Amino acid sequence: MIPVIKHSIRFILFVFVQALIFNQLEIGWGIQFMIYPLFIFMLPWEMNVFLVMLVSFLLGVSIDSISNTYGLHASSAVMVAYLRPYIFKMFEPRDGYEAGPELTYHNMDFRWIISVQGLLLCIHHLWFFLVEIFKFNEVLYILQKTLLSVPASFVLCMLIQMVFIKKNNAR
Amino acid sequence: MRNLIAFFKRFQVFMAFVILQAVALYLYVNYMSFPKSQYLTSASIVTGNILKAKNDVTKLLNLSRTNSILQKKIIELRKERPESFFKMDRDLFKINDTLFQQQYEYIPATVINSTFDKRNNFFTLDVGRAQGIQREMGVFSDKGVVGIVHFTSEHYCVVKSVLTENINIDVMVENNGAFGLLKWTSQHARYGNISGISNDMRVKKWSKVVTRGGAGIFPKGIPVGKIAKIKSVEGKPLWDIEILFAEDFRKIQSVYVIKNLFKAEQEKLESLIPEDKEE
Repeated sequence: MIPVIKHSIRFILFVFVQALIFNQLEIGWGIQFMIYPLFIFMLPWEMNVFLVMLVSFLLGVSIDSISNTYGLHASSAVMVAYLRPYIFKMFEPRDGYEAGPELTYHNMDFRWIISVQGLLLCIHHLWFFLVEIFKFNEVLYILQKTLLSVPASFVLCMLIQMVFIKKNNAR
Repeated sequence: MRNLIAFFKRFQVFMAFVILQAVALYLYVNYMSFPKSQYLTSASIVTGNILKAKNDVTKLLNLSRTNSILQKKIIELRKERPESFFKMDRDLFKINDTLFQQQYEYIPATVINSTFDKRNNFFTLDVGRAQGIQREMGVFSDKGVVGIVHFTSEHYCVVKSVLTENINIDVMVENNGAFGLLKWTSQHARYGNISGISNDMRVKKWSKVVTRGGAGIFPKGIPVGKIAKIKSVEGKPLWDIEILFAEDFRKIQSVYVIKNLFKAEQEKLESLIPEDKEE
């Protein structure tokens, strides 16, 4: 499939699944599932960083407009998009990234996935809860929410990559 | 000048990041205080319709609960019908009553989107300007107070719920009339706080808290909850009171919007009070 169309379909799916399913699930202890960063991770790695930020901003705003958070998701998504190239560079394999396959569970080794996606999810969640709560006397609550939500989101992201993303598909 | 251009070139990615971040945070902060645009909220036509479709599916999950609530309400109302009273004194009353004039009207609505674990929680209802909803109308359910209409579109409205940091509804303790402002500390969807009750008032645990009806948004006596914990604030002669909300906002489905027919009159009268001059 043409990459632009494929990513557009993914964009719409991620917005709907996040806003209509995962933002409605409320299971207590401050756990919140956020899977849309996965969309940003799966954009082509050599894509222009301006474009990535713009797409992430739109993604965030669409989710915000359905769930009445109005800018929160957008802010965190832009944060992930901005830091993505640096983190990709930090964990670059010895002979660089291949130009062909997507950087998902099937094509990268597990250690890379844990470090890159885990780290970006951590940053995303921490920023999200920081902006949402924004009180220094509730630092522990922010940390609690982050520490509980990151594993939950990470496991979900892994499952999505295992089940729905096809192996070795060329972009 | 060349240095400046070189500087911008070097940091252009960062600049773009800062700009987008600033836009997002500006939207977030502004939305809380006063809504300027409504295009990006769940009151707009597109997202309103999406949420309505979602609600068509999920409302079935709560059907049995909603049914039993309605049944209870019907029984309650049936008790008050003239047929269920024994007439002691026949043909003495006339129904044409000038002592009582209708002040509040109620518009039924369904909650089509809601949250309860965010810092500020908003509910979307399926009524809007076409049904006569305006800003700052009160919203309540069978069990208690829900919130205040924050803004409206043609067919939807967004309600700033009680689970918002500065909701400031004036409430009072039912048995002794001590009044204060309702707040929410954003920890748990079932517990709120009342501030401003002075600690020489005697307040009993588990006494009922109702609305005071001061601002003309809510009529007097709509239940809010029960007092669950009383502490004294350090260094101030005030109680810090925690209340258990009567309504469980995690399951809320059908609500009523309050239309105060005398609101304009009250506002006009109160605008005559001279404002305090700040020094």
